[in-house]
Amino acid sequence: MTEFNSTLPVVTLVGPPNSGKTTLLNLLSGKNYKTVNYPGSTVEYNATYFQKQFNINATLLDSPGIISLIPNSPDEQVTIDALYNHPKFGIPDLIIATVDASQLSRHLLLVDQLIRSHFRLIVVVTMVDILNRKGYEISIQNLKKELKCDVVEVDGRHGNGINNLVQNISTILKKEKQELSEKPIRIDENGDSQILLNNYKKIEEIEKSVINPKLKQADLEKANKSLNVLNSFSRNKPDNLTLKLDGIFLHKYLGILIFFILMGLVFTSIFYLALPLMEFVDESFASLANFAIEKIGYTWIGDLVADGIISSLGAVLVFVPQIVILFLILGFLEDTGYLARGAMLIDRPLSKIGLNGRSFVPMLSGYACAIPAILAARTMSNRRERLLTIFIIPLMSCSARLPVYALLIAFLLPLEKAWIGGIVLSLIYLFSMISSVVIAALINKFRKSIIREEDNSSFILELPSYKLPRIKSVIRNSYSSTKQYLKEAGPVIIVFSFILWGLTYFPNTNPKIEDTNLTQVEYYEAQKVERISTSYASYIGKKIEPIMAPLGMDWRIGVSLISAFVAREVFVSALAVIFKVSGDEETIQQSLLNSMRNAKIEGTDQKLFTPATILGLIIFFVFAMQCLSTIAVAKKETGSWRIPIFQIIIFSGLAYISTFITVNGLRLLGIE
Amino acid sequence: MKTAANLNFGEKAIIDSIDQNHPSFRRIIEIGFTPGQEIELVNKSFFNDPLAFALRGTMIAIRKNEAESIRIL
Repeated sequence: MTEFNSTLPVVTLVGPPNSGKTTLLNLLSGKNYKTVNYPGSTVEYNATYFQKQFNINATLLDSPGIISLIPNSPDEQVTIDALYNHPKFGIPDLIIATVDASQLSRHLLLVDQLIRSHFRLIVVVTMVDILNRKGYEISIQNLKKELKCDVVEVDGRHGNGINNLVQNISTILKKEKQELSEKPIRIDENGDSQILLNNYKKIEEIEKSVINPKLKQADLEKANKSLNVLNSFSRNKPDNLTLKLDGIFLHKYLGILIFFILMGLVFTSIFYLALPLMEFVDESFASLANFAIEKIGYTWIGDLVADGIISSLGAVLVFVPQIVILFLILGFLEDTGYLARGAMLIDRPLSKIGLNGRSFVPMLSGYACAIPAILAARTMSNRRERLLTIFIIPLMSCSARLPVYALLIAFLLPLEKAWIGGIVLSLIYLFSMISSVVIAALINKFRKSIIREEDNSSFILELPSYKLPRIKSVIRNSYSSTKQYLKEAGPVIIVFSFILWGLTYFPNTNPKIEDTNLTQVEYYEAQKVERISTSYASYIGKKIEPIMAPLGMDWRIGVSLISAFVAREVFVSALAVIFKVSGDEETIQQSLLNSMRNAKIEGTDQKLFTPATILGLIIFFVFAMQCLSTIAVAKKETGSWRIPIFQIIIFSGLAYISTFITVNGLRLLGIE
Repeated sequence: MKTAANLNFGEKAIIDSIDQNHPSFRRIIEIGFTPGQEIELVNKSFFNDPLAFALRGTMIAIRKNEAESIRIL
């Protein structure tokens, strides 16, 4: 789709979540639309044109679901501001508001606010079939009279009524332009709940005059008996299938069991689906780098292309599989309606540690990548809980830790017992989960000095009817989270990978090697080793050696840990560079493991990597705040440096201390 | 006074009023808990908190503490 022409009339779709808005967008646009962010925001809307056959020359915008024009969260603020005056398209010429006939009174609240804001409006009534199944019918004519605006019934499944709607739209848009662009008036009744109550009263009156039982009372009772679905005829309740499914998913004991099994499956999928893909990406870029240096030649340009450019691109892309997979699963669960139930189930325990059921989805996303996770916290209305959620998200075991854990676990386990790896990894995840709960509770205790926000906690959440997920929107969702990661973290990782390359390459760019009996490749590798041990990186590393010594580690691990600030996974490639791993052995990991097994603490005979130091490193990665992109996003989202600085001090301090205790504790126990 | 939090599983009631002093007062009525509406307790979480009510054709989960601000007839 090409750029949008901002001189065309603008039609905006508005409606509460689950009111059939997306279905209507699909019908009007022919499922062909572009997802765009509001400027300076991650909130997304869809922009498109009407299908050719409808013959309407106008821009069609879709906005995120809202239940009222009075915002309750930062995200809603953006949506509502853009509704009144879109940053790109200006004031809409026409608003199409969707309402679900089966929950008319709730959905008319928004319509009433739109009318009082003086928007030009067409109301589209959807899901009349569900209302009919409950034994009621709606009079569109009466609703039109009561609301004094155009009302059209559209059946989303079959598209009936769409032509009628299109006709209404064209008639309105054909009117004179001046007549259309009457400036809407912002309603502001934030403090006054009486207005809200009065509006609901008014709406209930309207509802009474438009919705009536389909059958006479006697027939209704007979129908009830014969179908044995007594409850489904109560208009206040959601559909029968949803009630039945909730009998299972929200069952007191079964529900919580299913919840934990589902979450267990989500995390197992990371190990079995994402890890092999990540290794594939990693190995592809490694061989690409090798290929490049062979083609270009063993010069500084070759080194820059191979180790600077190709490797840093690889460092960015290696996380994509896990992020995509986890967000596909999350989107799937969200779209079926299950995630709202999950949030409800987990609200009580989370509220004990100062969080909220609504923290659940952002925290889960943190297992893919902290960046989209921190952005996802924008849907939270309570500022204190939102900040605390952002605070602990970096403790969730993100995809960048996976390659690190995989390497360290492989070191601990003999090759023939590799199957234990999955179990060890689950234990690490479990450990990180438990410790993040404890840390969240502690931070909540000291929130007066750390978070510095007080707010009244609340949990009010609609549990939508269960439905089959729309594959397209699940894919869109995963795509946009991945995009957020690439956009925010990509440039940071690439720039710092470059700097890191520079630090390991300069100043001794062309060291002389005495041995003349070497092949070109061997000579190149020997040069690499010599260059690194005399580089700026080793200089910095040696400066911080006193900090590393108490952990039983030396400057080389220190440098690798510093590199991990670019992104945690860079730790692995930094180790590979520093421990002289050449690319032509079978697998990089195997050769890295071999050199790690042989490495001695410099100047001594002591082994550098022992089970004790490896476990210490794992503990370090569980806690440490290492990712520069996360720090940048946390600063942006919380509006100050306060929270990211506390995250660095608390998490990295904790990492150092617990690593110290682990390494030295194990040594005292005689485990080296 | 009985509140929505006192309802048993599957029990229906009509809302009498909402406690104006509850900090979430406005959001509770905005989502649809208004005097005169019929509600039914349809689900309880594992810890009996939050509670899910059928209301106006859908289901809304709220905390026990919020349900206590909803007085019923």
